[in-house]
Amino acid sequence: MPPRRAPAASAAATAPPKPARASAAAPAEEPKPAKKATDAFDELLQTYYKGKHLTDSINTVEDKWTLLPAFLKVKGLVKQHLDSFDYFVDVDLKKILKANDRVVSDVDPQFFLRYTDIRVGQPQRMDLESDAEITPNECRLRDLTYAAPIYVDIEYTRGKQIVRRPGNFIGRLPIMLRSNKCVLYNKDEREMARLNECPLDPGGYFVVNGTEKVILIQEQLSKNRILIEHDAKKNITQASVTSSTHERKSKSYVVTKKGLIYLRHNSLNEDIPIVIALKAMGVQTDHEILLLVTGTDMVYQDTFAVNFEECSKLKVFTQQQALEFIGARAKKSRQSIIQKRTPAREALEILATVVIAHISVENLNFRPKALYLAFMTRRVVQAMVNPALVDDRDYVGNKRLELAGQLMSLLFEDLFKKFNSDLKMSIDKTLKKPARTSEFDAQTLLANGASAITQGMNRAISTGNWVLKRFKMERAGVTHVLSRLSYISALGMMTRISSQFEKTRKVSGPRALQPSQFGMLCPSDTPEGEACGLVKNLALMTHITTDEEEEPIRKLVMALGAEDVTLVSGRELYAPGSYIIFINGTCYGLTRYPKTFLETFRTLRRNGKIPEFISIYINHHHNGVHIATDGGRICRPLIIVENKRPKVTSRHLKSLAAGRMTFEDFLRRGLIEYVDCNEENDSHIAIYDFEIGETTTHIEIEPFTILGAVAGLIPYPHHNQSPRNTYQCAMGKQAIGAIAYNQFLRIDTLLYLMVYPQQPMVKTRTIELIQYDKLPAGQAAIVAVMSYSGYDIEDALVLNKASVDRGFGRCQVFRKYTATLRKYQNGAVDRIGDVKRETNAEGQVVPIKKHAALEADGLAAVGERISEGEVFINMQSPVNTADTPQLLSEARPLEEYRDAPLKYKLADPAYIDKIMVSTQENEQTLIKVLTRQTRRPELGDKFSSRHGQKGVTGIIAQQEDMPFNDLGMTPDVIMNPHGFPSRMTVGKMIELLSGKAGLFCGKLQYGTAFGGSKVDDMAKILVDNGFSYSGKDFVTSGITGESLEAYIFYGPIYYQKLKHMVQDKMHSRSRGPRAVLTRQPTEGRSRQGGLRLGEMERDCLIAYGASQLLLERLMLSSDVHEVDLCESCGLMGYSNWCTTCQSSKAVTKMKIPYAAKLLIQELLSMNVLCRIKLKDKFPAAA
Amino acid sequence: MSQPAGERSYQQTAAASTMHYLCAECGAKVGINKGEPIRCKECGHRILYKQRTRRMVQFEAR
Repeated sequence: MPPRRAPAASAAATAPPKPARASAAAPAEEPKPAKKATDAFDELLQTYYKGKHLTDSINTVEDKWTLLPAFLKVKGLVKQHLDSFDYFVDVDLKKILKANDRVVSDVDPQFFLRYTDIRVGQPQRMDLESDAEITPNECRLRDLTYAAPIYVDIEYTRGKQIVRRPGNFIGRLPIMLRSNKCVLYNKDEREMARLNECPLDPGGYFVVNGTEKVILIQEQLSKNRILIEHDAKKNITQASVTSSTHERKSKSYVVTKKGLIYLRHNSLNEDIPIVIALKAMGVQTDHEILLLVTGTDMVYQDTFAVNFEECSKLKVFTQQQALEFIGARAKKSRQSIIQKRTPAREALEILATVVIAHISVENLNFRPKALYLAFMTRRVVQAMVNPALVDDRDYVGNKRLELAGQLMSLLFEDLFKKFNSDLKMSIDKTLKKPARTSEFDAQTLLANGASAITQGMNRAISTGNWVLKRFKMERAGVTHVLSRLSYISALGMMTRISSQFEKTRKVSGPRALQPSQFGMLCPSDTPEGEACGLVKNLALMTHITTDEEEEPIRKLVMALGAEDVTLVSGRELYAPGSYIIFINGTCYGLTRYPKTFLETFRTLRRNGKIPEFISIYINHHHNGVHIATDGGRICRPLIIVENKRPKVTSRHLKSLAAGRMTFEDFLRRGLIEYVDCNEENDSHIAIYDFEIGETTTHIEIEPFTILGAVAGLIPYPHHNQSPRNTYQCAMGKQAIGAIAYNQFLRIDTLLYLMVYPQQPMVKTRTIELIQYDKLPAGQAAIVAVMSYSGYDIEDALVLNKASVDRGFGRCQVFRKYTATLRKYQNGAVDRIGDVKRETNAEGQVVPIKKHAALEADGLAAVGERISEGEVFINMQSPVNTADTPQLLSEARPLEEYRDAPLKYKLADPAYIDKIMVSTQENEQTLIKVLTRQTRRPELGDKFSSRHGQKGVTGIIAQQEDMPFNDLGMTPDVIMNPHGFPSRMTVGKMIELLSGKAGLFCGKLQYGTAFGGSKVDDMAKILVDNGFSYSGKDFVTSGITGESLEAYIFYGPIYYQKLKHMVQDKMHSRSRGPRAVLTRQPTEGRSRQGGLRLGEMERDCLIAYGASQLLLERLMLSSDVHEVDLCESCGLMGYSNWCTTCQSSKAVTKMKIPYAAKLLIQELLSMNVLCRIKLKDKFPAAA
Repeated sequence: MSQPAGERSYQQTAAASTMHYLCAECGAKVGINKGEPIRCKECGHRILYKQRTRRMVQFEAR
């Protein structure tokens, strides 16, 4: 038995010419490696990489994928989070400061305070005695927040002089792990180990009050872009744009109503005819309006012409009239009432700052905004003429992903504004005082608001509620606790995208798989059920852009020969052959040579003159060249193809393997470029070399990167029915395995670990890239696909008892229990009590049974076994915790204590694994107790292969009863063959075949998507080793000793043990606790609840007519209650006495459910009287 | 038995019980009395672990 599974594992270790071993040894021998990065990617720089020597010939077709590890080294799986946070800390913070850099006083016009710079320091300890650097793991253990101080430089007036003060503390900012402010930034494996941190941990989350919090990626419609929609039901075509600037967020519409076009906005009481709006913006003549909207196209002109009639009917001919028309319909804001503006002024104000707010109006130059509005109108007219010209809001190119950095910057901006207004108020208050003892120094007030910023950040991240009053934004559930069930679940969480759509709406559009998701979002990884299709995951190579400076691009566009769009008339604008250049959705320039323009622009980008994430594409439908520099676009790298040749050649890959080139060099040299979803539409992308044709512009780096990190675990996913892959994506996150290298140093609320995890025999490139093979969650079980006993129906598995004895599926469960010794307002403190002792039968003084595990310090002994009811922290809390002084008679002495012990509540015993004693930020003692259970598989424990094939243990069979093959081997698991036909998981069969072949050639095989080891090759290996090509073996029954009639499909399949275990779920009750209010049995396993006879079960019993059973189940076994009922008045009394009738004459006893009695009384309390009338069902005489 | 041992007052045993803990940072053995601040006396680190018990613990090897 042991030498069976062993070869799988040991073969794995010895298989290739030891590249892994070599790399592991290398840094140990060298005293200090020259390069900084000696992490797991080091392998890449070794002479041997994945068994390939430098001098080995590298084929372009075969080895393009080597770019992938290079990509992940630079970008990593969670790089989008880190990039966005770094951008926030390094750039956005300064921008926010600049936008709010002055604090002035209403009282003293001489006074000002100006922020000149803002910085974020290193994460620091908040202890009294030390402010040294703090590690994330210490924060986790001590329930602290991993945060760094924010400092600002200020200059302000003090009396008559201006003072400069650098480095003022204004609050603490939670730091994202592994971002450039984190202590883990750029640390190698050994340094990480020293900090008690796992080198494989992706980072990208925050540690707030000791819990790991992730800000999920949020999906939104893109801002500042025009979106055309058509509602067929109402026959409405509308163009909408959500303007978003630092000052304001607003949504403007151009809508059709009965064939006419209007401008609609929240600040306007009614829709404004579009011609009037344009007139108000200074485009006065009808001819100019017509040209700006329609150009010279006759059809468009005819469609639009009616709008002029509307305008002249309303007698609006000049800009002044138009402004007055709009002003009369404007919503009165508070400011307009104060300032008493004329309607025309009001309209001007609204048009300039509120409508389409992202186009700024400088010096009342409305031309750009009028153009924008005219263009919106044109799009509507186009869509009216040709309904196909509408936009798809589900198209990935129309979406933006909001990351942690953006959300944090919104939050910080809000808090900082509040900080400034609070500061201003306190400055005003001090300055108002006529006589001050000393000269006023504003710096002293600065630190007062720091806690507001610190706590505001902390609260938002720990609760997940983003409440920003300024933008009227109230979002709940932005952050989630990082799931540490397995390495994969943590990783999967970092790539998850949640959508803002409502879950309840029954529209398929947002949930459907979009063709534009290809390569950007994983097609398999989405949950089942209500969030299906709304929660998505990033694909392996996806990158999310951050904001890029727009101004240099504007200059460049002009330099490349574009005409200024504000200087031309509509005739030139929409002349055939001329293309409008849009920068982030705003028309900016005009070119007659779009193709040349585009190519020059791309060449500049490929040469690194323009940032690589700026995208450009041509939209021929509305003759536009679109340039995007905004953040949140999804993009991915592709190899550039020129002259029918990929620019990446084997020479480049050789230098990459040799470490002479990095991924960035590929970018800089223009071999590879990032392509966003819109630009992808403008390209012709080949998947394989032989597909390259005349028009090909790009070639994929590797097709398997269309899958995400979680779906990448599945071997041969391209052979499976697609929902099976989706199921595995959900289950891979529940698999028990290794979590991190520091898993034994962590103290998590609940932690599942596998005792003997193995890496899969059939791995994928993704597995190597995400290093699942280093933190695996499963075991390579030898599976026989056959029927065995009756305990394997409905996907149940048969386990081999001997395998279970030797550690198959064995796992450990760690649970944390926390106690804080609180300090109360009145000075009283919690304490740890003494062990209570008693004298036993032999006359010895021993601890009482509940305290058996305790040691002298009142904490359980580490290593001791504790079972139900035993105390492990003998805490006592003071009886008197009131902070207000009480009457002398009522006051209880401070020394009086009440027992408040932490008891072990579970039925199955556990061992005390670890006890940590520490202090929190507020100097309260914190005690964390970690308990450990070791569990072997039992009947009902859930297992699953990597193909969405889950099953529970049906029976654990004795080894001698198991079937054996001609080597005498018995399987670990027997799987029922009925699992295959309907599920069509062919990938699982190939996994078995490849795994089996791998055993004999001593190699791990690959099951990479759209590639991997070929079945023919595997069959060859099997045949060469004397086995059937089909993977079937000759098997003898262990029970009868007869050989089986069929050959049995037999080999290793990677099995995952899932977290659902019988021990955590099994539950029974005879009599037990009842709820106080209703006196019915409690609900739920944790409260020892009853088993509910639900309404559907009740219906069955009614239908059957089992009235006595119903009576017993619903009343007698539940909340039967005897009441004294007065037959004359029908009300309830007590003790054989009716209080209503003041007699006991007609009082009888009867049994009703207590809940019914309660209902009657509750109704009574609301002035609804219920009387119970009793009647004989079978009258004695009649 | 007039007074069981467990009924002794809180202070009586407090002084007697100096327990030793291990520092998470430097591994030093730290003796801490009841009510003392939790801190390693060598390095000032504030996370301490309780030492493994000297009592006999029996596991069921299954």
